[in-house]
Amino acid sequence: MSAGRPTVRRVYGRVFGVAVVGVQGRLVTVEAHVGRGLPAVVLSGLPGAAVQDARERVRPAVESSGLTWPLRRVVVNLSPAGLRKEGPGFDLPIALGVLAASAQLPPRLLDGYAFFGELSLKGEIVPTAGVLPVAMAAAARGLRGVVVPEGNAAEAALVEGLHAVGAPTLAAVAAFLRGGWKPSPAPVAQASPDDVNAADVDFADVRGQGEARRALEVAAAGGHNVLMMGPPGSGKTMLARRLPTILPAMVRQEALEVTRLHSVAGLLSGGGLIQFRPFRAPHHSISVPGLLGGGSGFLRPGEVSLAHHGVLFLDEFTEFRRDAVEGLRQPMEDGRIVVARASGAVEFPARFALVAACNPCPCGYQGDGRRLCRCLPARVVTYRERLSGPLLDRIDIHQTVPRLSREELMGSMAGEPSKPIRDRVEEARERQRFRLRRTPWTSNAQMSGKVGRRDARLTTDAEGVLSLAVDRLQLSGRGFDRALKVARTVADLAGSEQVDGGHMLEALRYRAADPHEEAVRAG
Amino acid sequence: MSDRPSSKEQVSYPPGFAATRRDRQALVVLLHLASLTPQRLGLVARNHPTAWACLRAVRRGDSASQGDVDRARVLDPAAAARAVRACGARLVAVGEPGYPPELLHLHDPPAGLFVRGRDLSELTPRVAMVGARTCSPTGREVAKEIASGLAQAGVCVVSGGARGIDGAAHEGALHGGGATIAVLGCGIDMVYPKEHAELLAEIASRFAVVSEYPPGTPAEPFRFPARNRIVAALSRALVVVEGARGSGSMITAHHALDVGREVFAVPGSPTSALSQVPLDLIREGATMIRGSEDLLRDLGLAHLVESAGTLGTASADAGLGADPSVAPDERAVWRMLGAPLTLDQLALLTGMPLPAVLSAIARLELRGSVRQVGGRYERRLSAG
Repeated sequence: MSAGRPTVRRVYGRVFGVAVVGVQGRLVTVEAHVGRGLPAVVLSGLPGAAVQDARERVRPAVESSGLTWPLRRVVVNLSPAGLRKEGPGFDLPIALGVLAASAQLPPRLLDGYAFFGELSLKGEIVPTAGVLPVAMAAAARGLRGVVVPEGNAAEAALVEGLHAVGAPTLAAVAAFLRGGWKPSPAPVAQASPDDVNAADVDFADVRGQGEARRALEVAAAGGHNVLMMGPPGSGKTMLARRLPTILPAMVRQEALEVTRLHSVAGLLSGGGLIQFRPFRAPHHSISVPGLLGGGSGFLRPGEVSLAHHGVLFLDEFTEFRRDAVEGLRQPMEDGRIVVARASGAVEFPARFALVAACNPCPCGYQGDGRRLCRCLPARVVTYRERLSGPLLDRIDIHQTVPRLSREELMGSMAGEPSKPIRDRVEEARERQRFRLRRTPWTSNAQMSGKVGRRDARLTTDAEGVLSLAVDRLQLSGRGFDRALKVARTVADLAGSEQVDGGHMLEALRYRAADPHEEAVRAG
Repeated sequence: MSDRPSSKEQVSYPPGFAATRRDRQALVVLLHLASLTPQRLGLVARNHPTAWACLRAVRRGDSASQGDVDRARVLDPAAAARAVRACGARLVAVGEPGYPPELLHLHDPPAGLFVRGRDLSELTPRVAMVGARTCSPTGREVAKEIASGLAQAGVCVVSGGARGIDGAAHEGALHGGGATIAVLGCGIDMVYPKEHAELLAEIASRFAVVSEYPPGTPAEPFRFPARNRIVAALSRALVVVEGARGSGSMITAHHALDVGREVFAVPGSPTSALSQVPLDLIREGATMIRGSEDLLRDLGLAHLVESAGTLGTASADAGLGADPSVAPDERAVWRMLGAPLTLDQLALLTGMPLPAVLSAIARLELRGSVRQVGGRYERRLSAG
């Protein structure tokens, strides 16, 4: 408090704002000092570009709200000074800090709330991305409540034990702090696990493709990643879209994580908790930051994080930039991605099920029969060889999807709905969680090769099948481990303690195709 | 038929056209000129009765494109002839004893043929096999089986050395312990396609590789139909295995009919793009064959072979035999696989649950009896 002379007018005000770093909210103290000097606003404490802009927005907003902007020298400081503050959410706490410093607000409630929101020149509070982490940060610091844009109130209300105030205007916030306005309670979104089927897609929509449906069931049950190969129009996208509907329903903690990521990305459209597992299908022209997260200034979660706890579908997998695909390795290993910047590293959660899809050859019709493939055999081999490498070692299930004729589609059985499949998947997951209770893992796909071999519990028949496969199919060491894990999942789905020959055989069907196999070369 | 050559006038070369060394060297140069087709060369030869005289006429600007006239002026006949010898080939000119007389059945026989390997007169009787370059795995198997059957009956298999059915025919003939001739659509010294380097080398060293194009002529698509007329003419019959509409197989079949050769075709599913040429040919009157047994019987050679195969009539359990390790599930699935089927279709037809079909299929795959092509399962006709 540098203004040494006592005066009837207060000169100092302090409120809480929140900076969003990655998916974490960090409480920021916004101090304002109104002192002698020519009218000006000085902002200190490492403000980003959008926060710098607040200087110009705040004064018109205050004046439009029937409040007075002090025509003196205003200094605003954001603390801790070492943290870079990004985003437009600081408009509201800066305005309130100045109003407090000019004695227009009673200090009574200011200390109990965090404030977050962008102001328009008319003094309205504009909905802003990242409200959920803001509310979580406020709750973590033991504040009573949080004042956020009215359009984001439902989001803030997801945090239990926190008073979420959705305010339409700056004037309303001033009135609230003076005790003259009571906000209506924010709508609380009801989360119920059975709502998963309310998604507008279901496996019952898929006719035929029983083999691919089964492959996805096994993938869902064991947490395995999938590569689907088939000509255009075979239904790869349709199948992948339905994978989230057979994954176990999200628990509240998972739903909050997903909602928080979508909140930071500005993808929440007013609603509350996201209850459906996300399905993200970025186009193959996506940039590395777009896929993995990043961007200049404010770091955004990439598609891998938006697919957290859901499905990341990469159609035309061979067309993705090499460096983007290579970047998938870390999240596939760790379930998170670290985006490094000069200002420090930011971590986003990114635990997703990968479904990659591609054509069998450059023209797309190899092996289709009804349409002629005109690719040279050598080009097909080159194309298939692009599908190998370290990332492919993390894809346990490879499935070829045939293109069905209209007659075949009409003649095939209507598909089983998602609900019973999901029930089987949840049971299989439960068995895995129990078996792996003494390990860091929860699903078969995560098991190390060593644990996979230990837990396989093969019958003699299964061992015979496996050794035959090593012989006949030239199964590699990694292929061997993958087959064991998938066989374990097949057995879990069947409720069997042991992996028998049938389970092993089915798992072998999901092995990766050899790019040099005869069917590829024959054209 | 639009596929057929338009000009039908019979080309003939005067006696003694390439009798002297100088004429033979000149002929090599003439064969270098793409625009000097047999028809045009025949016309020039009416007024200039030797190859050397023709070359002089061409150098003056007769009958060839300007580019080829320039080439004819630049090319040294002696050097061109040396290049032929350098790659281990020899020129067989029309009128010489080594020139295959069957080629004269063509209305546009080449004036000369380059040969690497044995004299063609030693490699008889001959049957040609052609088909799609981008064939199916089943097509490959069928072609190999037929070629192998022909080889066992002592028939030399003639084909174009191309990818797909051509290559399978050559391989099948070698596998059956018989002879085979590759007719190239590029220069006699060229290796095309690259994947066939070993195959072509083996054929050249043991049997014969021929071409009407001198060394250095690149592989270009417009030469392939011309090559096909030689494939057809060299043989007493032609077998077409797979071909999509508008492909070279149809052209070859029409060349064969033009020179009065019998045409055989292996049928396929009417829904498959690769069945279109054989099915069209059968409708036009070609003889339908299911495998080497049918073919050899029609050719009157069946008595020469002990066990020829007939692929299409495989009985319910054929191919699996009485192996006691084959489970009932596997047999049930195998029985349905007369045509390529998806897993759903197999489950529907056998009444088995999907996971059971999956493991039965996987075991059949391990046995090498079944394979997956484009998401459908089909029988392998031969193991391996």
